[in-house]
Amino acid sequence: MKQSKLAALLGAGLLLGLGVAACGGSDDKTDASDTATATETSEAPPAEETSDEPVAPETEDTGAAGKSGELTVWCWDPAFNLYAMNTAASIYQQTNPDVTVNVVEVAWDDIQTNLITYAQSGAIEELPDIFLCQNNAFQKNVINYPELFSTYTDSGVDFSQYPQSVVDYSVIDGENWGLPFDNGAAIAAYRIDVLEEAGYTLDDFTDITWSQYLEMGKDIKAKTGHALLSGQAGASDMIMMMLQSAGASLFDSEGNPTIAGNDVLLKSIDMYKQLVDAGVMEEYNSWDEYIASFVNGDVVGVINGCWILGSIQTAADQSGKWDLTNLPKLDDVEGATNYSANGGSSWAISANADYELAADFLASTFAGSTELYDSILPSSGALANWLPAAASSVYAEPQPYFNNDAIYAKIVDYASKVPSNNTGVYYYEGRDAVGTAITDILSGGDPETELQEAQEETEFAMG
Amino acid sequence: MSQATKSPQEPAKAAKRAPAKKGKPPKRAKQGLLGLEQKRNLTGWTFLIPAALLITVMSFWPMFKAFQLSLQIGKNKLEYADPLWYNYVRLFTKDKTFILTMKNTFLYLIIQVPIMLVLALILAYLLNKKDLRCRALFRTAIFLPCAISLVSYSMVFRTMFAKEGLVNDVLVGLNLLNEPINWLNEPNAARAVIILGLLWRWTGYNMIFYLAGLQNLDYATFEAAKIDGAGPIQTFLHVTIPQLRPMILLTAIMSTNGTLQLFDESYALTGGGPSHQTQTMSHYLFEVSFKNNSNFGYASAISFAILVMVAVLALIQMRVGDKRD
Repeated sequence: MKQSKLAALLGAGLLLGLGVAACGGSDDKTDASDTATATETSEAPPAEETSDEPVAPETEDTGAAGKSGELTVWCWDPAFNLYAMNTAASIYQQTNPDVTVNVVEVAWDDIQTNLITYAQSGAIEELPDIFLCQNNAFQKNVINYPELFSTYTDSGVDFSQYPQSVVDYSVIDGENWGLPFDNGAAIAAYRIDVLEEAGYTLDDFTDITWSQYLEMGKDIKAKTGHALLSGQAGASDMIMMMLQSAGASLFDSEGNPTIAGNDVLLKSIDMYKQLVDAGVMEEYNSWDEYIASFVNGDVVGVINGCWILGSIQTAADQSGKWDLTNLPKLDDVEGATNYSANGGSSWAISANADYELAADFLASTFAGSTELYDSILPSSGALANWLPAAASSVYAEPQPYFNNDAIYAKIVDYASKVPSNNTGVYYYEGRDAVGTAITDILSGGDPETELQEAQEETEFAMG
Repeated sequence: MSQATKSPQEPAKAAKRAPAKKGKPPKRAKQGLLGLEQKRNLTGWTFLIPAALLITVMSFWPMFKAFQLSLQIGKNKLEYADPLWYNYVRLFTKDKTFILTMKNTFLYLIIQVPIMLVLALILAYLLNKKDLRCRALFRTAIFLPCAISLVSYSMVFRTMFAKEGLVNDVLVGLNLLNEPINWLNEPNAARAVIILGLLWRWTGYNMIFYLAGLQNLDYATFEAAKIDGAGPIQTFLHVTIPQLRPMILLTAIMSTNGTLQLFDESYALTGGGPSHQTQTMSHYLFEVSFKNNSNFGYASAISFAILVMVAVLALIQMRVGDKRD
């Protein structure tokens, strides 16, 4: 939008230069849309809606009882987030037929880039009303660019109906800035047919520790030749999940990095190295190779955020052969649990929003409609973080792909037990530095010195 | 570049054309506010103004703003750093990642550019032979890689060099390797893959420049060499290459410039990994701007550091390569 404006201005400048200044003041409705936006800013009365959509905001009076107006939403993943948002819109329109929700697909990387650009240039009017934000990036964006966000303080959303750990991603100084949507609770999924072949059942992998996991993994590797787990080389997802499962983090409550000499981190990395060295865990270079590793059946287990289930189910021939349980927990660590999370995202209301409408829309759909969650779960696997929805019978239905287990009820239960994770502003920098350290440790580096380096690298990035 | 070299010629051309119009008495010109010479110059400048204005607004002004930005710090509200050059000091004395990416970039430059230019020269020489069959086909085939989208070729390379990819299968199948190499996860192997990718993609592009240059050469010089008893290698070294010198200089400067600003391969092929070992300066710049907490002041400082490196190298190459004076 910024570009088109610039182009329009340039075009206008050239026209002026050629001496065709006469048409500058005309309000010609047949103008190209980009020139229209440029003229709008100069001549439009305070209509504050500078949307470039041709939809005419005829009924802009928000005082009426039945809500009306238009909401623009940015999110990614058509099969998942866009689908859920569109379903929410149609549910909301049943009671508020005058509301249009304009859902635009924008990749997360682009949303992040846009947020930065708009904040730097002060172009807050370019923001949509609602956008989706990665949980791990939420605090960073709100703390860096508070002028882009609206709080949920006056929204009427009851945040006690969400698991604390999920809400905490978007809480800053006690205020709520995000409405949790995409569930990131971690699961451990296994190919039960291969487990049986090696003489194990899913129960042997439930409520276990990592050292038990390692032993069984070695045994399965010896008996079947399959690795139990795969991961992406250089990515620190697994380590971060291990950390969070014990309620630990790379930062203390004041946001200072606690990477060097972090006992839980050292133990996690040590376990990770043992898994890789024993061949129980296979590292792959790219995301597609990682996905292929279990879709092809090379690797017989997956540990990740529950959104990975979508990728598992792409292998139609493995239907009924998978099932899932909770994660192994760290040995000898105080506060260690079998529950963790990876990823997930939350809805943010922008500072440019029609706040009343946006808040009412979200509060009555994503934070108040079991109908919504019931209809999006079977078709997209979009799991609720909103606890009342989990009580619905849809969640208790057995899933044929997963050995007729009621996996969704399981996952919602796990989600409520995940310890909170302190992401802070420099989460990505810290995670990257730890990723580098892991790569170096795996190729023989000393863990303590490598973590010291990672600490310095993170401190450098913060300086 | 083209803007800069063209500009002095235009007034000169205007002046050259002038003698043809000598019909008018010179006195009338003196009656005006400006002399004839000045008037002609003015015409030249008038033609220059739009281009000069555009390049100032679109190029020089942003560059100036970027320089200003490179002296500032802060994540959201930017302000001038205390010692103004703080970002630059930080960049060259404290930032290990930047130093590493700089080393990587120069490694690509030193290994890849000479190999590519020599290969391009040889290919151009071969494809310029008049008795070669299917010349057009070969030329197109060699040029084609640089018309392919960077991302798609990176994806193909990534698949080929995967641990269970084509390259490992072939090498193991031919018993050249005992066990597959995890190409993209070993720093040196990953760097080699990036260099291979660059060679594959850009050799044909440079070859086209040499072909164009070769076709402008006078055939008589080759005939003369033949008559003097020079073999094909001698002809190539002592007749062809000296005459192609301006073209070689051009491609050398362009490749240096392109390599120092390399981004796509680092981003799409290896993602900079393992642990920054294949990352380029521009990729790091991008991460500083948009992936991490954006630090635009620092990112601008990086971009200026790259600019200075490119400028210095181009200057050296022009000193060494340009023998016109």
